[in-house]
Amino acid sequence: MGSTNSDMAAASLAATLQRVGAGDRAAFEEVYRRTSVKLFGVCLRILPVRQEAEEALQEAYLSVWRRAGSFDGTKGSAMTWLITLTRNRAVDRLRGSGKFAAGPIELADEVPDPAPAASTMLETGEDERRLAYCLDTLGGGDAQLIRTAFFEGSTYAELADRASTPLGTIKSRIRRALLKLRDCLR
Amino acid sequence: MSAELSDDDELLAAELAFGLIDGGERGAAEDRLGRDAGFADAHARWQAYAAAMASDPGEAPRPSVWSAIEARLPANDVAPARASRTSLRWWQAGTLAASAAAIVLGVVALQKPQTIVVRVPVAQPASAPMVAVLTGKKGIVTVSFDPASGRMTSAANGLDLGDHSPQLWVIPADGKPRSMGVMNASAPGWAKVPETASSVMAAGVTLAVSVEPVGGSPTGQPTGPVILTGKLTTT
Repeated sequence: MGSTNSDMAAASLAATLQRVGAGDRAAFEEVYRRTSVKLFGVCLRILPVRQEAEEALQEAYLSVWRRAGSFDGTKGSAMTWLITLTRNRAVDRLRGSGKFAAGPIELADEVPDPAPAASTMLETGEDERRLAYCLDTLGGGDAQLIRTAFFEGSTYAELADRASTPLGTIKSRIRRALLKLRDCLR
Repeated sequence: MSAELSDDDELLAAELAFGLIDGGERGAAEDRLGRDAGFADAHARWQAYAAAMASDPGEAPRPSVWSAIEARLPANDVAPARASRTSLRWWQAGTLAASAAAIVLGVVALQKPQTIVVRVPVAQPASAPMVAVLTGKKGIVTVSFDPASGRMTSAANGLDLGDHSPQLWVIPADGKPRSMGVMNASAPGWAKVPETASSVMAAGVTLAVSVEPVGGSPTGQPTGPVILTGKLTTT
């Protein structure tokens, strides 16, 4: 897997997204074709009910259409921009539904991290493999906390509540994990 | 690339990217993105890490998702009345035309960064008959529509829904389905399309079939899953 290939794919996705910003519908269709499988995966992860995930995906792409003009290729990749936007739409829907019940969180390190192991992620990009590897080096509980924050839109306060742990404890635990993550990813 | 940040700033950038902070704390961090390039860089980096957590291979959404998105897009640069064959030819006419168009769009975008150029299709009385082939989960449905008389014919193949009825809908650009009527799954049928639906029948709109109770949707909107979709084109 030459990184040149994925770099080129990333650059062409960014260029296509910029064309969407200019109102190009064919470019929009191309962005959908190239990213909808991945972005639907993001939606399903946040909203396991398919119907809900599909509606979130629709909303996400309509936001892409409206907001592609604000995508700035110097500030990150097109895929990151698309995933962030999709995650936000899906989390809004999850939190706005009123049905969301934040379940308790188990902090023990023995908790298996439900994410796929780095070694099985052959289809994914270099960044994703590195991140998965580094998350693996954290205790399962810590990786899980960070994922929960991102995919369920849980803040420190809510995580503390769900783990029945004082806010200060959860905060310093996650901060330590984040610094460890940064050092691993450097 | 980025100057070394203090651990606290680095963490704040991460906390913002992962959505760990809220309220005033979050507002202050967001404000800082605009004036502190090093902080913004770190935030972008953490955002990329956060996005990389979505490493699932993913899953293909049903084709109806794209139809629904397309149906809700505002009209824009590509005139919906243009048949796909024509647009193919247009693209084949050469990259010159394409890049000229891109330059024009680019200039417009530069001049009015917040404006989306919307070319509203002129409502011209369509007289040519229109057809749609609806495909998807089960069977196939063909529909023809004569704008002059407001009548349609519809035929289904391989569409046995048991104790449910297939209902036809037209979904124009506003995304709101209008019922065209309940179909007969076992024999071709013809019917006058209700005025609410026939008034929005135009080349490029999406037609869809949903699974409804016998006799049709009780609410006037699709209540069951959409199983087939297709585009209406002029003949």
